[in-house]
Amino acid sequence: MSIVPIIEFDRVSKIYPSGSGPITALHEVSLRIAAGEFIALIGPSGCGKTTLMRLIGDLEQPSAGTVRVKAKSPDQARRDRDYGIVFQSPVLYAWRTICKNVELPLELMGYPRQQRHERAMSLLRLVGLGDFSQAYPHQLSGGMQQRAAIARALSFAPSILLMDEPFGALDEITRERLQLELLSIWAESDPRPTVIFVTHSIPEAVFLADRVVVLSPRPGRVQRIIEVNLPRPRAFETREDPRFFTLLTEVRECLRAMEG
Amino acid sequence: MTIPQPLDQPGRRADWWRAIWPAVLTFTLGIGLWEGVVGFFALPLYLLPAPSQILLTFLAQPGYLLSIGAVTFGNAFAGCVLGCGLGVLTAIICVRWPIIAEGLVPLAVAASAVPIIALSPLMSLWLGSISPASKIAVVAVMTFFPTLVSVYKGLISPRADALQLMHSYAAAQRAIFLKLRVPAALPFFFNALRVCTTLSMIGAVVAEFFGGPQNALGVYIKSQAGVLRTREAWSAILVACLYGLAFYVVVVLIERVVMPWNKHR
Repeated sequence: MSIVPIIEFDRVSKIYPSGSGPITALHEVSLRIAAGEFIALIGPSGCGKTTLMRLIGDLEQPSAGTVRVKAKSPDQARRDRDYGIVFQSPVLYAWRTICKNVELPLELMGYPRQQRHERAMSLLRLVGLGDFSQAYPHQLSGGMQQRAAIARALSFAPSILLMDEPFGALDEITRERLQLELLSIWAESDPRPTVIFVTHSIPEAVFLADRVVVLSPRPGRVQRIIEVNLPRPRAFETREDPRFFTLLTEVRECLRAMEG
Repeated sequence: MTIPQPLDQPGRRADWWRAIWPAVLTFTLGIGLWEGVVGFFALPLYLLPAPSQILLTFLAQPGYLLSIGAVTFGNAFAGCVLGCGLGVLTAIICVRWPIIAEGLVPLAVAASAVPIIALSPLMSLWLGSISPASKIAVVAVMTFFPTLVSVYKGLISPRADALQLMHSYAAAQRAIFLKLRVPAALPFFFNALRVCTTLSMIGAVVAEFFGGPQNALGVYIKSQAGVLRTREAWSAILVACLYGLAFYVVVVLIERVVMPWNKHR
């Protein structure tokens, strides 16, 4: 890559202590991600893909090596509010209406009331929840809750979006719809955030990403990086494109090769 | 899709009635059974008066009974505010300094299971049997431990991801406390408070059994029962129930206003 990377891993290892000796979750991972890229992290469970994401987001510290985000430490990037995070569960606060949940980061960052309300409402409309702004989280379905979580992550226009299997708990139909919505929101954002999307679904990774980073099982290493040269904007038909199937096969075989 | 329901929709009254009629029926049947048993076996008045007789006794001097009830309720209320307040404060300290929690919370859990009411005679000894201080102290000690345990549990109830979300926004400790821990602890606090309303009325009445001014429910019940004026004792018990219920209902109403998100659950 010719451009300066926004996220840079330099021989990063992560070792967890455990009762039966230390477990190496990641071993000497080096990786460069460009600004505005959509990266999917995929690999078998326990390969450290979530750990990799969490190292970027300063939710965990590397045991060795360095992670740089916008030429800063992840800790500094977090303090500069560079991250919007979407977890596997929506993590909406039960006592706040959907609108107030989306406003939460803006509230913490000291935006004036009027401005944060307008911002939250426009994001809720963007994710199709305009009519549900005054509902409480438990009144919405799982898919709607996750949409609200995405709106919340985008509310303060962070430059990096960290998504940890955000659609993992949803049914297939909702999941495919949300994938499309996510792509269109991402494409419309200016500037486009860099997205790190952790998934264990091969079609999801290929459909969404510019590059699919395949991680090997324990200890996690970057096994291969597969460029997804499917045209954007991607649509429902993309999933029927022969190139889509070729890429699926490529990722699948890469994952299978590691098992043997 | 679940659409949030408007608060005042037709049929809400019917729902409400459907929810309470089994309890109303049971209550009516219970009172009827009591009335019937007393009449059928012609139980002597000093043993068990019928509900109707208790009600008549109450109606003979409602002003007096309610006024002595107010004295006892005052002690219960003061003790409850003191005990719950200190419980909340201690829970906050426990969350701020976990080392204190490690020492204190297991003890508080144990103390919640102990009949603290047994302290009543000692409190009378230490703080004076006539003064309200000994009654308030009993109630305060009774309500302190369950509040501490509940509120502490509530304050530490937010899951890891809810806290990490705050972390990712670089939220200050103060903001994490006020915008995450406190609201998460509210349901726990109100659960404790509801239990404490009942506990505090029990505590205040029983504490008065060990001495107190003449114009207090516990003293009245004990002295009337002592001379076999059972109807009078029962009418005072009725007043204790009324105050206890009213206290409980007020807490439930406050809870509904403070936690609107819980309404539809």
